[in-house]
Amino acid sequence: MSESHAGLFGVVGVTAAMTLFSPTVLVAADYLSVDAAQRSIFPDADLFVPALPVLSAQQKAAIAAQAGTQPAHGTLTIWQAMQGPARLGYVFIDEVIGRSDLITYAVGIHTDGTLSAIEILSYRESHGGEIRNAKWRAQFDGRRGLDSLNFRTDIKNISGATLSSEHVTQGVRWLVALWETALSPS
Amino acid sequence: MFVRVQSSIARAARVGMTITVLALFTTPARAATEADLEAKLQLLADQIAALQGEVAALKADRRVVVTEPLVALTPGESPGVGATQPGSATGQLSFSGYGELDYARPTDDSSATTADAHRMVLGVAYQFDDKTRLVSEVEFEHAITSAEDDGETAVEMLYIERMLSEQVYGRGGLFLIPSGLLNENHEPTRYYGVFRNRVEKSIIPTTWREGGMMVEGKTASGIRWDVGMTTGFNLANWDFNSDDGRKSPLGSIHQEMAEAQASDVSGFVALNYTGIPGLLLGASVFSGDAAQGQPGFNDNQITLWEAHARWTPGRWDLSALYARGDIDNTADINALNLGSPTPIPETFFGWYTQAAFQLWQRDTASLYPFMRFERVNTASQYAHIAAGLTPQSAPDQDILVAGFNFYFANGVVVKADYQYFDGNNDDNEPSNQFDLGIGYAF
Repeated sequence: MSESHAGLFGVVGVTAAMTLFSPTVLVAADYLSVDAAQRSIFPDADLFVPALPVLSAQQKAAIAAQAGTQPAHGTLTIWQAMQGPARLGYVFIDEVIGRSDLITYAVGIHTDGTLSAIEILSYRESHGGEIRNAKWRAQFDGRRGLDSLNFRTDIKNISGATLSSEHVTQGVRWLVALWETALSPS
Repeated sequence: MFVRVQSSIARAARVGMTITVLALFTTPARAATEADLEAKLQLLADQIAALQGEVAALKADRRVVVTEPLVALTPGESPGVGATQPGSATGQLSFSGYGELDYARPTDDSSATTADAHRMVLGVAYQFDDKTRLVSEVEFEHAITSAEDDGETAVEMLYIERMLSEQVYGRGGLFLIPSGLLNENHEPTRYYGVFRNRVEKSIIPTTWREGGMMVEGKTASGIRWDVGMTTGFNLANWDFNSDDGRKSPLGSIHQEMAEAQASDVSGFVALNYTGIPGLLLGASVFSGDAAQGQPGFNDNQITLWEAHARWTPGRWDLSALYARGDIDNTADINALNLGSPTPIPETFFGWYTQAAFQLWQRDTASLYPFMRFERVNTASQYAHIAAGLTPQSAPDQDILVAGFNFYFANGVVVKADYQYFDGNNDDNEPSNQFDLGIGYAF
């Protein structure tokens, strides 16, 4: 069995396991559906196709090194945003720990590497919910590359929601590193 | 579905390659008659046409907006997949904690130097269902709690939180009052300097908690509002002979829900705005009668209000806060305790400005030098009793603090600072002080 087949079967297995055994995720506050987040990030797309990057050990190490410190993550899902035969970019829906619970957020990366604003799909605790603020989320819009994604200097802290704002920023850094390593067209 | 599509396309591609290979490497020696070859070619052409049709059909299938089910990366490909479970799963138990240890050396009196395992706090939260959780914290101060030691064990928070709507939470129990910059964010990793600033210790009695009910709401435009009804202070606990009330008027009479006198109810309102990234503007007011029905006390309304701002442009972290407290109808009580060292003040106040700068940062390590100027007066005015009998108000106490926070891992900080006191108070001037500390929070 080739490595690519092994990876493919691994994904199939995980997908099946998720379908069969994943508990119903009880969400304290759902602000946005997956569908709405996809359309908000890529309004011109007519199709969202799941993407399944299979990473080598070297790629994983490269991503970890580029992204820097990471909070605990939950589940990551990725879609290609298609307009006819053209791929406009990727939509990432990721989960990072806020203070004690996971935050589900979405971000898009266009084909040229520029980011969309982020969207908050679910926030599960009362503390730190200020990251839903539109102006804070818009700080990511148009940024490109890890050098433009430093917490505090590029992406401002929210006083009273420091952990949530820092962890989401760190999560986006990991996604950008993933894109640069495994998904960038160049 | 995408996996199935991929598999089918891969299968089609493999068959196509096989056809090509067969066409290229079939030798004349092994060939049968021309008619046989034509028949075979026709068969292959039919198969290709069928495969093309299948591929077209699969492509048509894909022209559906896919939202569910989600497909994930395999565990390990995301930095922490599998490390945590979805946060709001019923029955989830989570732990948190923070602590700090410090060393303080007064420059004028080295015999007063102390080293202290100042506090260790353990937090336990439990999620009953997707909308209901328990939040609790237990604090151990000064290492040992016993009859012979100064240490204490305290329940710092103990409340049930219920999500009332997507943006509104209700709390019932013992919770922190949303006052100032520190009270709700008092972990050592979240403030500059080995010790908390004097204003938010002497005027706002951080860590200040009361028992009762509150509602907290947030708007998408960046406004957070809090309103609550709680227990309050108990003026009957004022000690005219100790200096506790001079160090912190409200800190000496807060009840912390330890068999608290609760015949009078207090209330609070707080507003905070974070709608502009990097900026926090906020204010709060807490007010309630501290007589608590105790003999000799009547209509002793205590009001504490404060306003605060924090701005973090670039590498800077700038903040300022003003707080002021009033206690009503203290003249008669003080008149019964004339000559005592610590009468009850009518007003007290404090303010500070602070600037910190991220001088250096690499990975999880960063260095923040800071400077803070504070002015505190815990007895800026006494209620008028009579000429010659009204206590003298205290002079303002100025404190200049300079030092640094060095974060060398996420959630771990080493601190050092020097506190310079300029109290305009020749009789009772605190010594300047050098401090070292280490703190953590998780």
